[in-house]
Amino acid sequence: MSGTLAVYRKELSGYFRSPIAYYVVAVFLLGTGYFFLYNVFLTGETGMAATFQNMGMLLVTLAPVVSMRLLAAEYGAGTAELLLTLPLAPWQIVAGKFLGAVTILLAMAAGTLVDLVPLYLFGAPETTTLLAGYLGLVLLGMACLAIGLLCSALTENQIVAALLTVAVLLALWFVGHLETFQRSAALRGLVGYLSFAQHFGDFIRGLVRTEGVAYFLIVCAAALTASASVLQWRR
Amino acid sequence: MNASPPAIALESVSKRYGSRMIIHDLSFTVETGEIVGFLGPNGAGKTTTMRMIAGFTAATSGRVRVAGHDMATDNVAAARHVGYLPERPPLYDTLDVSAYLRFVARVKGVARAAISAELERVTTACRLEAVVRQEIFKLSKGYRQRLGLAQALLGAPAVLLLDEPTAGLDPGQIQETREVIRAFGADHAVLFSTHILAEVTLICRRVAIIDHGRLLAIDSPAGLRRAVEATHRVTLLASAPAVDLREELLAIEGVRAVDVRAVADDHARLEVDCRVDARPGVEAAIARAVATRWELHRLERQEPTLESVFLRYVTAPPSRGDAA
Repeated sequence: MSGTLAVYRKELSGYFRSPIAYYVVAVFLLGTGYFFLYNVFLTGETGMAATFQNMGMLLVTLAPVVSMRLLAAEYGAGTAELLLTLPLAPWQIVAGKFLGAVTILLAMAAGTLVDLVPLYLFGAPETTTLLAGYLGLVLLGMACLAIGLLCSALTENQIVAALLTVAVLLALWFVGHLETFQRSAALRGLVGYLSFAQHFGDFIRGLVRTEGVAYFLIVCAAALTASASVLQWRR
Repeated sequence: MNASPPAIALESVSKRYGSRMIIHDLSFTVETGEIVGFLGPNGAGKTTTMRMIAGFTAATSGRVRVAGHDMATDNVAAARHVGYLPERPPLYDTLDVSAYLRFVARVKGVARAAISAELERVTTACRLEAVVRQEIFKLSKGYRQRLGLAQALLGAPAVLLLDEPTAGLDPGQIQETREVIRAFGADHAVLFSTHILAEVTLICRRVAIIDHGRLLAIDSPAGLRRAVEATHRVTLLASAPAVDLREELLAIEGVRAVDVRAVADDHARLEVDCRVDARPGVEAAIARAVATRWELHRLERQEPTLESVFLRYVTAPPSRGDAA
């Protein structure tokens, strides 16, 4: 555990000593702020549903920027030779790095809480729906980061890692659209189940379904386990 | 029987990348309190071997043990006993020197209360006091190399693996680094690779010579010299008839072989290369024999250098068939 914690602390200080964390959080908050103002003041929405939808899309495009350096940069800079020869199991490296990235995600989500102030001041939003939306946002972000971590383990090039992650995340976000083209009910069900957008949509509507929570957690677990295996395999 | 296992033990270790065999059936041990120099030309397999011992790369076959732990099955336990400086110092440019060393110390399991003292120990040993608060990307090459060495020394590991630790250092820093290695090697096991042969003679108890992924020899520097050249060389420059001179020299006891060549721009003079027994007095007998009949211009006895030993090993044709 202390190894994981040491990696986590190193990751965080790495994030905040480079412009990446500031850039990602700033772009996310600017984007979210714009969409919030648009949705609330121009289209007259009294909740966060549309804003959450936009936040989900923003997250899918920004998560690769956070995750691309996680392991690719270690291989590229030669520090993997330190990390993999220290007394650390691959899962400890993966867990420490993932938690570091999730902390950035939480900072991004926390920054958007400021949007709730006018909602509560001038309206009566449903708190449980908002909580469900935030839970969905964090779970979606965790799944995106876990997939990004796996892509980052596969290459030494951060740009390649980012492009790979964007491709996988966009595919998982839009895969639900294939539902209408499927004749078989089983395939329709599978395509729908794989869709990030559909599960996230449930959370936005205030529905915290076990199926949705389990889906995002399974994606995280599978991607993190695969990342640890890739580290081991690359030896 | 001695109960403690060797600090480093390689048993028939091979490494293959795709269809290319990089390391062939490598076996040797390094004991605690021993500094072993790892010599070989570029591409000989030194870095790959270091990486296998450090656990960064897995052996394709054979067994690597560090402090008794098998690298293949127990690499986290083995890693607790290893300090490793790769060829390219593994530094996080965004961190400062202190944060970097703290990270490595924490992962190596240095107790929280002991971290500050441990940092002070390694920064003093590696002369990093002046840059402790500096960000790593601002450090000069020499400091980067020494910071790499400092992280390897953290936690006083039983085994220190150094891949060209003096590369990029100025002569003063090289001297200091050698002292650090020498001091550390007194009660730990050190394996270090280098291109500088003099370094090996200065601080190593034993030298391992590797080429094309095969271990060619492992012995003390003196032992290697003895093994390569049981005979010494005496060279002389004289003005004499070639045939007579050759016969005269071969008649002297202790002279094994004689090679006579005319000096390129002065045909009256001959350059002579004699192989003689490694015992005193032979060159004096040669000098007497030549000087009484002809003119002797120069005579010197040449002992084999480690360079000649090294070149003799790495330029010799492979003695075994290629397994790959």
